Amino acid sequence: MVKNQIQYSKRQRRLVMQENIAAYLFLLPFLLFFVGFVLYPMFMCVYTSFFDATMGREDIFTGLDNYKTLFQDQVFWIALKNTLVIVVVSVPVTCAFSMWVASIISKMPVAATSAFRCIFYLPVVTGSVAVTMVWKWMFNNYYGIFNYLGKDVLGILDKPINWLGDERYALGCIILILLTTSVGQPIVLYVSALDNVDKSLVEAAEVDGATSMQAFWKIKWPQMMPTTLYILVITTINSFQCFALIQLLTSGGPNNSTMTIMYYIYYNAFKLYKYGYGNAMGVILAIIIAILSAIQFKVGQEK
Amino acid sequence: MKKMIALLLALVMVASFAACSVEKAPEETTAPAAETQQTEAQQTEAATDEAAPVEISLWTYPIGKWTDEATVKSLLADFNAVYPNITVKVEYLDYTNGDDKVNTAIEGGQAPDIVMEGPERLVANWGAKGLMVDLADIVPEGTYDSVLASCTGTDGAVYEMPVCMITHGMAINRDVFEAAGALQYLNEETHTWNSVEDFLKAVQAVYDAGHEYVGAIYCGGHGGDQGTRALITNIGGGTYANAEHTEYTYASQENAEGLAKLYAQDGIVFDPAIVASEAIQNFINGTFQMSFCWNINDELNNADALTFDVLPMAFPSDSEPSLQMGIWGFGVFDNGDEAKIEAAKTFIQFMSQDDAQYTKTVEATNFTPVRDLPGFESVNPLITEYSALDPMQGDYYQVTLGWTQARTEWWNMLQRVNSSDGTAEAILAEMQTAQDASNAAASAG
Repeated sequence: MVKNQIQYSKRQRRLVMQENIAAYLFLLPFLLFFVGFVLYPMFMCVYTSFFDATMGREDIFTGLDNYKTLFQDQVFWIALKNTLVIVVVSVPVTCAFSMWVASIISKMPVAATSAFRCIFYLPVVTGSVAVTMVWKWMFNNYYGIFNYLGKDVLGILDKPINWLGDERYALGCIILILLTTSVGQPIVLYVSALDNVDKSLVEAAEVDGATSMQAFWKIKWPQMMPTTLYILVITTINSFQCFALIQLLTSGGPNNSTMTIMYYIYYNAFKLYKYGYGNAMGVILAIIIAILSAIQFKVGQEK
Repeated sequence: MKKMIALLLALVMVASFAACSVEKAPEETTAPAAETQQTEAQQTEAATDEAAPVEISLWTYPIGKWTDEATVKSLLADFNAVYPNITVKVEYLDYTNGDDKVNTAIEGGQAPDIVMEGPERLVANWGAKGLMVDLADIVPEGTYDSVLASCTGTDGAVYEMPVCMITHGMAINRDVFEAAGALQYLNEETHTWNSVEDFLKAVQAVYDAGHEYVGAIYCGGHGGDQGTRALITNIGGGTYANAEHTEYTYASQENAEGLAKLYAQDGIVFDPAIVASEAIQNFINGTFQMSFCWNINDELNNADALTFDVLPMAFPSDSEPSLQMGIWGFGVFDNGDEAKIEAAKTFIQFMSQDDAQYTKTVEATNFTPVRDLPGFESVNPLITEYSALDPMQGDYYQVTLGWTQARTEWWNMLQRVNSSDGTAEAILAEMQTAQDASNAAASAG
């Protein structure tokens, strides 16, 4: 079989080349930025993880020592466990809650839909420090609103609970705050995805006697799968990288009960100046996220 | 291909965080030489009018009013009146992120020329790593030996030119203590407790008077640990580090028993959810009736918010209290530029040599001078009251190696004690764990 090839004249080829050059020139600034501020640090992260790197002296090559130490580090395992708990709880809850809210508000009049989208998106655009400080006040042991409601108004608490200072509750509080700041974007995305569902298919199914639940699972859900996949990946990465909340609220305490891998990386790299060790943890975290993301893509595509 | 791109992006997002820390552009205050008004007399005095212009950077931690832009600008104007060729760019740091900023700058080869902080950073950290300049040649005569010793590294070099000092103590709400009949357990004149037992009786009296939270052992981290360290070692009668500052020694039966007494005491709460600054705020707003982290600056800075009489106190002890001292001053990073190092030294000399200028420099810190400075008491009326604590200053052990990790271990130890049964045995075991980890860090340097 002979391929039909388009024959360009010399002038046409020159014009195409000029267009290509222009396109590459437009891409060049971002490419330089990407290489300098993303790829290069990423390479350095992996490279430095094989060194005993600290401040004020030359790095010493130690091979896999950082990784060996890492797997014997009890706090690392606690941090990994806490991080996984955050991911396992927050990712499904975020997705399910977002979809539920989106399915409700997408049926509302346009003005109400917009208003609710804004309301749920507010925590995303509000500075994380401000949001966290408000939560910190609400959780306060001495004059926080939760203890006030539980003890003085509802009478369900005998004594105040030190929400962020008690190992039993601290991680739960972190997850709760993370959820409130994570659902905004998925809700907006799901509302858009629901708007894009082919209405004629839904109407046809309803005419054929499908219930609203059947219409959702058989027609809407498959069409929203790309959006769900995107939300799953992004929420998983965000949950793994939970840092600001920990830094601002608990510093990993009490007794490492809210220690996450991201905070432990920060603590080792920027408090103890163990750059190599911190980077080794970063590499492990990257591998874990990559594996999980690959699984999510695989499962998502099969569905 | 899409999968590969997605995976690559996932890797990039994580790895880039670990490898690089993007800092915000520093908030700078500049006092350019050109802006400085010079009088004719000052121009005559200007020794280096014809000298080549030099620009140096000064980064200050929050030491009194040294982070107040107007105060610093005024001090810089004084300096530029005499040295118009030296421009000083100032950046203000805080204790939450200040270390990160400095360390990132060091790693990037952009360390500031001058840093204003204490020996735990200037001497035991950056000085010990060989990053600082020896300032022995510009230390003014008359600087107290004990202060200078704390500013000197193990190699004999002076890595901090000391400017001011203070004695860290605790404070009580005098009005509440008086109403509870608890003033009988202390000596207001000497600012000391009659005994550890009397301190506990006083806490009980205030608690019985209806104050659920008398004081808090804050252990959320972020500084202020001098308070809890001094409280526990004074109550117990043990030590924190050895005299050579090579080893941590706080895991002792005495200290464990001291902490056990606090654990069992009504009105004393262990709170891993708050840090020292929050404990201080809770004292100021009346939630707590005593603060285990207090110095003259806390009273000066919160004068408007304080609605009760504050009584500064030494920590309770059955012998002579041993209080923590704070020393702050200037350190110069060796950035390899002799002109900048000389300019930095010139700046420090200007701020600390002449008595009149030195008075302004110290006044801006809200603390006390590190050499005899006649008439300084009149500058700050609270100094007389707070200086009663000065004779109780103890060893400056904050220069013990591995200090950063030792602080974290201390916080974690207190958090674990909070979750324990509070017996002296359990506390001692937790102290031992923390001390072992701290000593391992000290050995590693």
